[in-house]
Amino acid sequence: MNLRIISANLVVKLTSFYREKSAMLFTIAFPIILILVFGTIFMSQDNVSYHLCVQDLDQTNSSAQAVKTLELSGTFKITRVDPAVNATRYVIENQVNLVLIIPKGYESSLMQRMTLNDFKASVTITYIYDPSSSSVATKMQILNAVLAGMNQEMSGYPPFIRSVQTSILTKKYRFIDYFVPGIIAMSVMTLSLFGTVNLNTELRQKGVIRKLSTTPITRTDWILSNILYQFILAVISTIAMLLVSYAVFEVNLHIDAWLLAFILLDVFAFVGIGMILTRFVKEAQSAAAAANAISFPMMFLSGSFFPIELMPGFLQTLAKTLPLYYVNEGLRASMVFEDNMAALRYSMVIGVFVVVVFILGIIATQWEEGK
Amino acid sequence: MPKETEYAIEVENLTKRYGDLLAVNDISFTVRRGEVFAFLGPNGAGKTTTVEIIDTIRTPTSGKVTLLGMDVTKKKHDIVPRIGVLPQGFSSFDRITVRETLQYYSRLFCCANTDIDELIELVNLKDKTKEQYMNLSGGLKQRLGIAIALVNDPEVVFLDEPTTGLDPRARREVWEVLLGLKKKGKTVFLTTHYMEEAELLADTVAIISKGKIIAMGSPGELIESNANYLALTLHSVDERTFEIVRKMGFEPIHDNHKNIKVRVEHTDDVQKILNAIKSAGALYLSLDVRKPNLEEVFLKLTGEALREDPPEMEAK
Repeated sequence: MNLRIISANLVVKLTSFYREKSAMLFTIAFPIILILVFGTIFMSQDNVSYHLCVQDLDQTNSSAQAVKTLELSGTFKITRVDPAVNATRYVIENQVNLVLIIPKGYESSLMQRMTLNDFKASVTITYIYDPSSSSVATKMQILNAVLAGMNQEMSGYPPFIRSVQTSILTKKYRFIDYFVPGIIAMSVMTLSLFGTVNLNTELRQKGVIRKLSTTPITRTDWILSNILYQFILAVISTIAMLLVSYAVFEVNLHIDAWLLAFILLDVFAFVGIGMILTRFVKEAQSAAAAANAISFPMMFLSGSFFPIELMPGFLQTLAKTLPLYYVNEGLRASMVFEDNMAALRYSMVIGVFVVVVFILGIIATQWEEGK
Repeated sequence: MPKETEYAIEVENLTKRYGDLLAVNDISFTVRRGEVFAFLGPNGAGKTTTVEIIDTIRTPTSGKVTLLGMDVTKKKHDIVPRIGVLPQGFSSFDRITVRETLQYYSRLFCCANTDIDELIELVNLKDKTKEQYMNLSGGLKQRLGIAIALVNDPEVVFLDEPTTGLDPRARREVWEVLLGLKKKGKTVFLTTHYMEEAELLADTVAIISKGKIIAMGSPGELIESNANYLALTLHSVDERTFEIVRKMGFEPIHDNHKNIKVRVEHTDDVQKILNAIKSAGALYLSLDVRKPNLEEVFLKLTGEALREDPPEMEAK
């Protein structure tokens, strides 16, 4: 190992990176776009507001009061539909998925019930809906719950069963807080894997590696400078992602040395895999394809985007064999749950994997040609 | 300390196989210190394989190669700092400038107090020091490659086809640089398939064909011993001339430009042929007489042309 040689390599690589604008874009902009896109989707799920069309055929004070109550529940944004139009046609023509109809005679039935205590008096609210819309079922469920609440209130009795929600976490976390560590793990994986594969196949194809093999640089120097370079890129990329997450989504994440440790492990693991791939795939294009074949399943199966609890049992078992799963879980353990013991466990699993892959990677890296 | 001999390179019974292909077939030769040694041969003759075994990029199948008194298969670590290599199809980092590239390579060699400016001067790249590698033309890239091969002030310089793919002007510019190296007294091992290059630069030429060395010596010796004649060429002859010359007992050959070529032993023969043509009233446009070159030596020794195609021209 020679520090002068490693730093010389690092300078050349970072200079090339700085001058190659598309690499900059891929490293910094791509993860940020992912965070912005998915973050926006998840944020809106945390704070849902449905659009609801209401057609009031009764046109009385009481029916207007009922619509007001729906609006005040906070879940719905109400659009009032002209009583003269056909609700079914309205659904089709305006591409809404649901119209709630308050029937004529709402107020008179209500009066009958409230003043005369006539329990036979009731009204039927109609939902005109489009079953092909995916969110309409949820919307109707929520509506039912709101209507049940209104019914209960009218009865004048206090409810018997009440509920209270207690989170397992001491602080309040949102889905975005779980999502950001997953994106960090995934971006670092992609950077390290593709960075290693692209750089090495390109330099080998162009003959730069052959030239280097006639200088005092050793295989270890070359690999270590590669790792260091990928680590620096990973840190830059992570900082960019965290800044955006804090600024746009006000995430609530705990940052300590574990973050750096897991980034480093992530880099080692996937630079190692990249080195093994480079050995077996000769052309730059097929190398990129091979890297894709490895990173795509990893991205979707190891819980970067959504919790693996949502997947069938055998896929969950498969997920636990993937290195990225342990990086994801480790990062969440440290950044979300602040659970050092769990972080240590996950880091040990990925650590063992790193040692094995890395040794294989060093063996696989060919320096001299034509044995 | 390895023993210092008068030879920079000693190759004994070197053989290299790639599967069934015998790329280098039991060759032996030596290169003296301070000489320019050229390996001349067509593509696929085994030039690059040989040079890459000597400069430690490849390993031999069998045989022994000693470089600066050290076995190349065992002492790579000690050899590398003392040699400079321009590999075939040399390339460098696209977005790194000429000066940065030289600084990078000089930092790879321990304690090399390289004078970057002197190197830039030597390969005549003064105006291009801030140019990124990817923006250099083919000839400039090769000149930078030669400068890189010199960053550690090596004792032996290996240049594997330094002018292949360059246009004639760029090639002559590279030759200027190589003549400068020769003046500095470096031992240079050069491979080429351009005979002008070998003839102009080399003290010793080894002609290699199909993995074997078929002749070796100074360009003058090779020509003297293998092609001791004069070549007379008559341009744009009429049909009778060929017959006249043939009947005189010579062996004229036609080429496709209505020219005929005749080998003659003495200048007297030239006079005789011209007289015969004149008295018969036959015509020719012009003529030249010259000593044969390495191309003809190669043709005579192997029965095949040194290069099938005219040298490729480079657009840039």
